[in-house]
Amino acid sequence: MASIAVPRPKGYQRPVILDWLMTVDHKKLGILYLYTTMFFFGVGGVLALLVRTQLAVADNSFVGNDAYNQIFTMHASAMLFLFIIPVWAGFGNYIVPLQIGAMDMAFPRINALSFWLVPPAGILMFSGFLVDGGAAAAGWTAYSPLARGAGTGLDLWIIAVILLGISSTIGAANFMVTMFRMRAPGMTMFRMPIFCWTMMVTAVLQLLATPVLASALAMLYIDRNFGGAFFDPNGGGNAILWQNIFWFYSHPAVYIMILPGMGIISEVLPVFSRKPLFGYKAFVFATMGIGGLGFSVWAHHMFTTGAVLKPWFGFMTFMIGVPTGVKMFNWLGTIWRGSITFETPMLMALGFLSMFLIGGINGTFSAAVPVDFALHDTYFVVAHIHYVLFGGAVFAVFAGLYYWFPKIWGRRLNERLGQLHFGLMFIGFNLAFFPMHLLGLDGMPRRIATYADEAGWETLNLLSTMGAFLIGVSMLPFIAAVIIAFLKPKDQPNDPWQANTLEWWTTSPPPVHNFDDLPEVHSERPLFDHRHGGAAHH
Amino acid sequence: MPSSGMPRQLRRAVLLLSFALLALASVSLAAAQAGTPNPITEEGEKIGELWVFTLIIAGIVFFAVEGALIYAIIRYRKKNDELPKQTHGSTIIEFIWTGIPVLIVIALFTYSIIVLRDIENEADPQDLTINVRGFQFSWQFEYALNDLGTNNDPAAEGAITIIGNAAQEPELVIPVGEPVEFALASSDVIHAFYVRDFLYKLDVVPGRDNRFVITANETGEFFGQCAELCGLDHALMRFRLRVVERDEFDAWVAENAPAPEEEAVANAD
Repeated sequence: MASIAVPRPKGYQRPVILDWLMTVDHKKLGILYLYTTMFFFGVGGVLALLVRTQLAVADNSFVGNDAYNQIFTMHASAMLFLFIIPVWAGFGNYIVPLQIGAMDMAFPRINALSFWLVPPAGILMFSGFLVDGGAAAAGWTAYSPLARGAGTGLDLWIIAVILLGISSTIGAANFMVTMFRMRAPGMTMFRMPIFCWTMMVTAVLQLLATPVLASALAMLYIDRNFGGAFFDPNGGGNAILWQNIFWFYSHPAVYIMILPGMGIISEVLPVFSRKPLFGYKAFVFATMGIGGLGFSVWAHHMFTTGAVLKPWFGFMTFMIGVPTGVKMFNWLGTIWRGSITFETPMLMALGFLSMFLIGGINGTFSAAVPVDFALHDTYFVVAHIHYVLFGGAVFAVFAGLYYWFPKIWGRRLNERLGQLHFGLMFIGFNLAFFPMHLLGLDGMPRRIATYADEAGWETLNLLSTMGAFLIGVSMLPFIAAVIIAFLKPKDQPNDPWQANTLEWWTTSPPPVHNFDDLPEVHSERPLFDHRHGGAAHH
Repeated sequence: MPSSGMPRQLRRAVLLLSFALLALASVSLAAAQAGTPNPITEEGEKIGELWVFTLIIAGIVFFAVEGALIYAIIRYRKKNDELPKQTHGSTIIEFIWTGIPVLIVIALFTYSIIVLRDIENEADPQDLTINVRGFQFSWQFEYALNDLGTNNDPAAEGAITIIGNAAQEPELVIPVGEPVEFALASSDVIHAFYVRDFLYKLDVVPGRDNRFVITANETGEFFGQCAELCGLDHALMRFRLRVVERDEFDAWVAENAPAPEEEAVANAD
């Protein structure tokens, strides 16, 4: 590839550490995001193992009730706010500019700010463990009035979540401007890679929903510290108000947590099936549909409050299953009559399909309002969210890591270790979370620190705990694969997978300026077109 | 094995997936049995029927889609270097597979709304009403002696009050075969009144008057528990439920009803 002038002469290079601290390069920021979020994935995972150890047997006192409430609250908070949501910002940061053929994000300094809000927020949230009364213990949902009276840890939690909200709001604006304004010549909106589309819809959701959460958190902070009564019925407030505002954010947030994962799957499946994504436009519209409908279903978290219009929210919740189903069928249509190979990214993607399907189906039970009366706030719901957010999002995170690792770090992760990772994680995941359906049906409420022997929930809980530890073990081959890869020299070609999108046009890893040149873009698969004689197949 | 691209990896992937799915399928069958709820109220039975209906539809969708997925993985694995036909989509197919889920969810929605209307009944004034109060971390059940349903004495005064604590689960006693209204109130934060065998729960919200009515159709001893995180000892906010015949209920009332002077003492406590 032709070399071009390096933008900055060597003599001006900053020391390595300073360079990472001060970088505004989207690729370095993306890597920082990935390291930070995977770190919090590990922390959240350890907290999950503490939860599962406590629940392994009946009447257990491994951790007390107080510690337990802190641990599960911080498990969810870390996984949702410090792992899943920012991990997509990490992938988006690295991949989106490359996929649209841009030099960087639209606002590199704002991009750096977005990232640098995350670590202090994480430290702030976890510093709750050091203060009197411990970390936040009111659940990641922080229902009031319970959260009004909780200890100082909750104030730290509020501030941390507000900081993370600012991070993702300005990040969202940055992504939108980048994708609207900086696409390569020839790349119309409907030739944008599907991962970019899912990041676009995610950014819209973040921009519309996250400020609402910030307002709720500000009100809660006022209630707690300045004598406010927004959520206190005794002072003229309303206890249900918190839930309405919180879920108005947090239901769209579920799609913020899963749509980019769907985007990654939609990149991986075509590459390893040697076919284009089936129904590209339908997929884009289904993504928009999910985003739009996502704002009309929040109160399905509140059927048992008796304070919401149940038929309306039940109907809208059922309806959101339709675009989700369309996506599932499009993925099936993509691999159908393909020429499938089973490298680790594909294994993770197929794992996503088979598990996210369950997460979609078991969600419809709660859309049927009377059935939700039985299942709400039981372990059935815990099973559901984990089939969506682990079976869906986490499998997609690993699909993305194995898929883009050669691009980002110039090396490939070992296939055998990848298969082992996938196999153990797949089995461990089902062992951990499938029994929770039965526990929920059998009446085990979520968020209880212990249960009586006579409740009869011990066997299934023990199984679930074994599964959780198997998930923990499954991370070892992954970590080993990463270490082995880093010990080897960078040896990956531009396009090791025979992929479709522009990030594979440039070197692995790409130069600071990303591209020396760009191919012509006539479809959503410019590299495929280039390999097969240039003509678009539309 | 024919000259497939990666037979070993493929075999592994397929084996793994099929074993996992087989396990899931058998577990779900076991689940369908173990997990079929056994409701003890008329309302709960209707919810249970809706549950079974939803489970059947979910099962069909699960096996159809998961089956298609496994079929595709096995059937369309790479066999040679030939590029497969590049199909970009099909409007007709898109319409069909948008339409089918629409029909399914409309059916489910319709049935669920019918059940919702059936189970959300208002209490008649003469029905037994139990005032349930949730507090951190137990329950108080209060039976006004002039509001006891069948065999009620409108002139009776006073109330039976049962107060539990986290160490001592309170017991709730209700008669079988007649509507019982639960009026829920909270002293502090949000709780949820949940009896597994009702297949029902309702939040206990400070500042809000939440009520529901059930008619038990089975006697026996059951459990209930708070289902909304309410603080430190949330897990211990349990109670027992005893569903008894009407005459046994009347006897229980007679045994526990305070005499007027006793009640004065009780109030002074």
